[in-house]
Amino acid sequence: MFESRKAVLSALAITTLLMLSAAVSYAQTTGSVTMTATVSNFVELTSGGAVTLTGNSGGSIITDGTANSPLAVVVNLGELGPSNTNSFVKLSVPVRLRSNVGYQLNMVSSVAGAGATSFSLKDTDVGFGLTPAARPANLAAGTDTNATPGDPTVGGSTDVNGRWVFAGSNSTLGAYAVSGEVLTGPRVNKTVAGNSNTSLTVPAIFAIKPQFFDPAPAITITAQFTVVAL
Amino acid sequence: MPHSSIIKLILLSILLVVSAVNCLAQSTTGTVSMSATVSKFVEINSGGAVTLTGNSGGGVTTDGVANSPLAVSINLGELGPSNTNSFVTAAVPLKLRSNAAYVLSMTSTVTSSGTTSSRITAADVGFGLGTISRSGLGVNSGADTNATSGDPTLAANGSVNGTTGRYEFTAVRSNLNAFSSATTALSGPIIMNAVPRSNANGLTVPALFAVKPQFFENGTTTISVTFTVTAP
Repeated sequence: MFESRKAVLSALAITTLLMLSAAVSYAQTTGSVTMTATVSNFVELTSGGAVTLTGNSGGSIITDGTANSPLAVVVNLGELGPSNTNSFVKLSVPVRLRSNVGYQLNMVSSVAGAGATSFSLKDTDVGFGLTPAARPANLAAGTDTNATPGDPTVGGSTDVNGRWVFAGSNSTLGAYAVSGEVLTGPRVNKTVAGNSNTSLTVPAIFAIKPQFFDPAPAITITAQFTVVAL
Repeated sequence: MPHSSIIKLILLSILLVVSAVNCLAQSTTGTVSMSATVSKFVEINSGGAVTLTGNSGGGVTTDGVANSPLAVSINLGELGPSNTNSFVTAAVPLKLRSNAAYVLSMTSTVTSSGTTSSRITAADVGFGLGTISRSGLGVNSGADTNATSGDPTLAANGSVNGTTGRYEFTAVRSNLNAFSSATTALSGPIIMNAVPRSNANGLTVPALFAVKPQFFENGTTTISVTFTVTAP
């Protein structure tokens, strides 16, 4: 009797297992793949290529810009005293921007080692400006807003003391002792591959008029650009 | 650990690595570092036209031109007793500019064809710097030190030697004998404010030379003066 009950239970168990297997086999006729992804804000600042130094006396480009590489330019502007008879010592640094969103380019600067008298070279004696051109057709349409007056060597005049003054607001490094906006605009790039070279290239121009500044053997001027997504 | 969990862990690691690579590729800052120098600058130029007075037969051969290199040439004319003027004087305007303290020194030579003690010597050529002017836009105010006694024709700066009868410039550094080697004639603080070089202003001062016509030994005389400005 016991043996027969055991046999019946085994049979029932096997049957149930077979039915379950059949049911599972019949349900597995579709499948799904679910993917999640993100497109983050992307803003990028790199060098736009070689810098241009003019009007210098004894200066040189120590570390030049290389297109599409991190911007880390080092330049010796040379003599800024009256023995330099050029109208301006002028440095043009191409800055390259790419983004998939609206951007804001900021700059902060410093001047050190020039002395501390009223005749010393100051941050207000270093002219600055951006000269962006209209965007080419291979970039996203949009208008960039230049917060600077452009080329600092245009305009300008002497003040009541005879010292050279750059024209307009935000036209010298004196306006950027703390980080400030220099350029803004809508997204730069169209929907192109990340390795596309299309970019917005803007010359950043620095200019100093040689004057009877106080002698200073080692002046250091630093400008740091940062681009952020709006 | 189940097999599927291990695969998920590997995929997650790959994703993180790829993300990290992408993040590193995105540069959002850049720097422009500039160095420069302002050297000491001192300059001497002509301050303008020369004024020659009391001369007899003399003339300005090469005149001074303001803001041009100083290269004046003057014929003082007759210095013997046939010239009845009290003094033959030449006023040569100098213009100095600097972005630092300066020292103006002078050296001179006097050569004469004469051979006796009555020939013209360096001591017979009076010298002094006149009124110093710091004026105009961009010129710094400051006190200059005149190491000469000023106009050599002033009565206080010379007289007839009571023993020899010869006229002598007697004041401190009042004749070229005091400048047979480079000697400071003028010094002072920074001249120009921070203004462009195109600003033509500066410190002007007349260099005054004077010779009293006397019974000098006849002959020809050449007087040469060189000014040098330095930044100490």
